[in-house]
Amino acid sequence: MARPDVATFLERFVLPFVVGGEAHVNRPLTSADLGRFELDLANATVALVAVDEARTDVLAELVARPPALVLDADELALAVGLHNALVLAHPDADGSLVTDAMRRKIASTALRMVSQPISRDRTRVLARHALLHNLLDLGRADVTVSWWTGRARFLGQKPSARLTAWKGVRRVREEVTRAGFDELLASPEVAPVMAALLRRTPLTQLLGVSPSAPPLHWEDAVFLLRDAEVARAVAYAAVRPDEPRAQVAAPARLAAAFEQMLERTPPAADVRAVAAFLAHVAALLAMAEAHLTSPSAKSPLLSAVLGGGPGAGRPRGLATFFALPVALERVAPVLSDPPGLAHEAPWQRRWLAFKAQAVDLLGQPLVDSLVARLARHLGPAPDRTPLAEAPASTPTPGPT
Amino acid sequence: MALEHVAHGQARFMTPGVAPDPRGVVLGRYLVIVFPTLEGVVSWLRLYSHEASLDELVAGLEITRVRTPLMSREMILRIPAVSSYAADRAARLARLVGGSIYTGTAKHFVKYRDDRSPYGYDAVEIGALPGGAELMVHGDDFTQTYAREGDISLSRLLFRLSLRRVPGAQRLAAEDRADLVLAVARGLGDGVIRYLWRNRCDGEVGLVAPRNNKAASDGSAGFGVDPSYLLMRVRSLPERILELFLGTPGIDVFRPVSENVAVAVGWAHPVELASVASLLPADTYHVFWPGDRVDLLAGPLELSRLADLTRIDLELEGVREPRTGEVSGPDPVAVALRLAPASGLARRVSATLVPLAQTAQFKRLVYLLPPAALRGLRVAVTDRGIVVVASHDLDVIPLGMLLTELAPGIMVPIGMEVVPRVSPEVLAGALGHGLGVLTVFTPDAAPFQLPESKLAPLERRSVARLESHTVEIRNVALDPSGDPTVVNDPLGRFALWGFPEPEQKLLGE
Repeated sequence: MARPDVATFLERFVLPFVVGGEAHVNRPLTSADLGRFELDLANATVALVAVDEARTDVLAELVARPPALVLDADELALAVGLHNALVLAHPDADGSLVTDAMRRKIASTALRMVSQPISRDRTRVLARHALLHNLLDLGRADVTVSWWTGRARFLGQKPSARLTAWKGVRRVREEVTRAGFDELLASPEVAPVMAALLRRTPLTQLLGVSPSAPPLHWEDAVFLLRDAEVARAVAYAAVRPDEPRAQVAAPARLAAAFEQMLERTPPAADVRAVAAFLAHVAALLAMAEAHLTSPSAKSPLLSAVLGGGPGAGRPRGLATFFALPVALERVAPVLSDPPGLAHEAPWQRRWLAFKAQAVDLLGQPLVDSLVARLARHLGPAPDRTPLAEAPASTPTPGPT
Repeated sequence: MALEHVAHGQARFMTPGVAPDPRGVVLGRYLVIVFPTLEGVVSWLRLYSHEASLDELVAGLEITRVRTPLMSREMILRIPAVSSYAADRAARLARLVGGSIYTGTAKHFVKYRDDRSPYGYDAVEIGALPGGAELMVHGDDFTQTYAREGDISLSRLLFRLSLRRVPGAQRLAAEDRADLVLAVARGLGDGVIRYLWRNRCDGEVGLVAPRNNKAASDGSAGFGVDPSYLLMRVRSLPERILELFLGTPGIDVFRPVSENVAVAVGWAHPVELASVASLLPADTYHVFWPGDRVDLLAGPLELSRLADLTRIDLELEGVREPRTGEVSGPDPVAVALRLAPASGLARRVSATLVPLAQTAQFKRLVYLLPPAALRGLRVAVTDRGIVVVASHDLDVIPLGMLLTELAPGIMVPIGMEVVPRVSPEVLAGALGHGLGVLTVFTPDAAPFQLPESKLAPLERRSVARLESHTVEIRNVALDPSGDPTVVNDPLGRFALWGFPEPEQKLLGE
């Protein structure tokens, strides 16, 4: 059995994983392998540069000037940990030769590897996201081959030629289905590894929309909202044009995480930052309709996603998302309207009509409840003074 | 209250001879319109004839002078109730001119419908007519009986009505002048015919005598004892000739209003005569003159070609033999064309001839020209200079010799003209000038010509050839990345050393 080397690992697993392609999963890698990889990293320049260039391309869509990236030891550990987690979804690791104890050992090793220090450094966060940005989109092509006397299923593997030979005579039929993140990496024994891995890359969590991904902890990600460029990229990713229900999926997930945050005891500044960000995202959705309708017309988006009433299959957090700007008017008025909106009269009219329609569809009790929860973190509601009279020193967290 | 409102669907009525029409409106066989005077009748006829045809009403139309029991006189116009739509129009016009309208069949007439009762009215009680009464009308709060005093024929009324002068109607549009009728005194006949023929006016002419002797008897025709006159039908009479004829005694101009009716130009009959064609017999041609005169001519008119009536002078004595001419050489009186100072007003500047020596100044001027001038100017470079022609006034180029257009395509220096002052056609013929050619006279040399097709818009000529570089297109877009797919390579057998025992707390067990 050949010893795995870092260049092969980068070329066959890391690079396809970053740029999209066939990421090959081989036997599990030990801590000794990881140590050897770290030592050999300097000798695998070609593969290393290819990975770093691919990561730079990924970041080019998010920030104007991607930082210089060099794959280092902790990112390598994250990649090896992910590889080992994928081994547990390998069909050969589910056979009689691999016992539960062995699987637990592999999972434990993977967890150790991904348990790298949590970082809030911008470059490091961007670098980790560039490495793992496809994590939630990872899939596997499962082929089911059926022939005239039987059938066989190949999970991420190529069917043998003898099974697919003489297709006409043996009435061979191949069906290819794609297994997603939830089938590969959401099993109970891998879930802790994934949770730990995603905590190390909060930007991936903010930008990803997979429903089976671990829930977002805003406390881990709120620092990203204080970087205007990154926050803008997150906001634009959240309001990507799509069918209405798909368009609000990401904002609803972020708002659901905000609901959970309110149940804990986060710093007030973090609550203010997330609240301002979510209000900003809501305003973006409102402004996206400004060219479709007159400024005071009803929002087709709100009618589509909230029109069915409370029991009409709204995703979690959606009601909070649309009620938040209205509630903030009473708790922290300076956060409720994105800065600059009031300078454009048509935009302001559109925003007011959007909020009024949201209250109509959600109901005042829901807004009142959110006001009470926000007030616990942000203090009692201030006087209803106009925004223009607010003190000049009032901080305006969130994206600008 | 002598009336009650009729309800929708009501079928039984107190008033005899009325019934609901398909719309539910109460209607008898006739409508009776009561006017205080004859003027009201005429006003109603005048209005109705301009909105609809009176022909459909003529069959049962009666104008009656009536008397009330109190001996006051009124006029009643009875028309057949063709339909409730026609009755609605009649009622609207009657109310407009101060009349009141009723409907019924024989003796009793009940008020026709109005806004207060859309389906009409019915009388509350019907009594016998007193002796001598011809009919009874039932109004809102009265009933009135009328005794007949006499009838007035509509055709008689039509011929008794005077024409009314219409302000400004003497000026006719081209389509109104397409067909006109002239009544010309016989003494003026030759002159008018020659005049019309000289002015290329097509037409026919005939000698007519009015059938009615009224014109002849009262002498109003003014033609002497013989009432006959020449009737001419002319087509497309020019406006100036029309004005001349209207101002000439002995010539009267008429405008046909139908096949057999003509009305004096500038005048109009109160009633639209085209709508009462059935009262005007087809075998008679009616000429309505100003001053209550109507000439009835035997119709249809039989007229002769006007061109055939022009005077022919014959000299049968001393017929001369045709002379034989000789073809001679060039005319000894021919003179050369020259430019001379113009005597008339200055014409507009249409072109300029810029000497080649001033090409640099002209190029500098191009930079200053407004966009409209660049588009409107056409230019051709010749060995005699740069010819710049404008589609409008050329007042933005203060260079060269300014030219004005003497005739289409013939340019002469401004303030000068070509002598001898021959007509443009002769000049063009002498120069060999034609369509699509530009001929330019210069004071110092012979005129030159160039085809107009060589003139190009200055906008196109003004830009020199530019050298442009082809640039390389760089694709900076990122390749669309697909989703990563796990490929499971065979694991084979592997050892477990190197994998430490799991930490219970990390696994969350």
